[in-house]
Amino acid sequence: MTKRVLTLCAWGGPATLVIALIGWLIAGVLPIPLGSESSVEQVVSFYSHDTRVIAGLAISTIGVCFVFPLVAVIGVHMVKMEGRTPILTFLQLITGAATGVCLLLPLLLMTTIAFRPDRNPELTVMLNDIAWLLFITPIAPFMIQNVAIGVAILNDKRQTLPRWVAYVNFWVAFSFIPDPLAFFFHSGPFAWRGIFIFWLALTTYSIFLVVMGLTLRKAIKESSDLDACRLPPPRHDAPQPTNKLRAARVPRRRRPRPRRSPAAGAQEASRTHSR
Amino acid sequence: MPKKRPGHIPGEAGLWIFLLGDMTLFAAILLAFLWSRRSDPLGFKDAAHQLIQPIGAVNTLVLLLSSYVVVRALFAHRAALYVDARRLIAGAIGCAAMFAGLKAIEYYASISAGHTPVSGQFFNFYFILTGLHLLHVIVGTALLAAWQLMCIRRRAWEGTQRVVEGIASYWHMVDLLWVAIFALVYLVSAE
Repeated sequence: MTKRVLTLCAWGGPATLVIALIGWLIAGVLPIPLGSESSVEQVVSFYSHDTRVIAGLAISTIGVCFVFPLVAVIGVHMVKMEGRTPILTFLQLITGAATGVCLLLPLLLMTTIAFRPDRNPELTVMLNDIAWLLFITPIAPFMIQNVAIGVAILNDKRQTLPRWVAYVNFWVAFSFIPDPLAFFFHSGPFAWRGIFIFWLALTTYSIFLVVMGLTLRKAIKESSDLDACRLPPPRHDAPQPTNKLRAARVPRRRRPRPRRSPAAGAQEASRTHSR
Repeated sequence: MPKKRPGHIPGEAGLWIFLLGDMTLFAAILLAFLWSRRSDPLGFKDAAHQLIQPIGAVNTLVLLLSSYVVVRALFAHRAALYVDARRLIAGAIGCAAMFAGLKAIEYYASISAGHTPVSGQFFNFYFILTGLHLLHVIVGTALLAAWQLMCIRRRAWEGTQRVVEGIASYWHMVDLLWVAIFALVYLVSAE
């Protein structure tokens, strides 16, 4: 049962992408979004198709929230990686939640702009600027989240998640660095609609959602962890309930070995001595 | 641990996702730079002549030297000559500091001459490319410092092989990116 819930949460990653993209396509954000160089008429006419724009944006506001289950399931796996002091897990949860809010708020703001399209056009342009710059520029929470995930994976000896996922996370974090440049430029590749801002961030964020979702799904599928699966299938090799036996067996097998050899050596030495 | 097999990957396979992804992004920005140069080759030529080319050339040599030093340090680390490795890594960190210092002088000169990141397309790309690269130099210096710490603690070679090779690979990437930036921004644009 737990495993099924975890798998559903992991699918939240790809679901975020698909539902948000569908919403944006309906709203008309997607083939070509509004840019900082768009004229007042273009901005006003975008929001004047109110029902379609509101419907699309409302779908995408729901869609981006599917990132929260993904953040939670990443957290569950990071706890397994980190053990007793899960500082990076907490960091990932906090920053992941903040990222989700940073994605959600601008979309709600855009929906609000479409709520009363007959207002003063200057106000519409201003609100549109706020919405887009809020959407593009707050990158630090997401970058910290990526680095926390990456460091936790690289420090994990058991390889709960494959190590390349860590490097993908570092790369995704790096690809977000140009985003604050959107404040400086009104046109060109570094304006908010430019390829190195909106399009790059959209691509790498999609890669993040899909890679994390799919690798976590695989990790959940392959995990034989007992907390991941409350009802273990009956094992024919063990007569007792297996939990305690298994837990006790692992350290017992490993610890005595290094002690035994010097002890045995000492015994032999004492034997030869007595002879 | 795989030792010097013919198919040995420096660092680890996953690291190369990051390195190649990074280089792809820089390549894309350089392509965008060349693309916008096509529309205004004369303006780019004038602007490129405003840069102080000797500083760029010296910085190229400094980074190439640092890459050589890093290779020597890697060999010293492999041979467990930790004292030698520490000296060489300190040398590489010195090169990085020199690079950053020269870069700062160059930034100061061009900003006080009135060429800011928003004055024209050439300087826009110049500051973004060199700024992103400088960020890589800073990260690389932090990684070299981490390597130095490993040598001070004299960790066994087996445990740190992948990490150290990864750091060296990252540093070579920083060097390679600078060579590409120097060639395209300083030299090709000035033609």
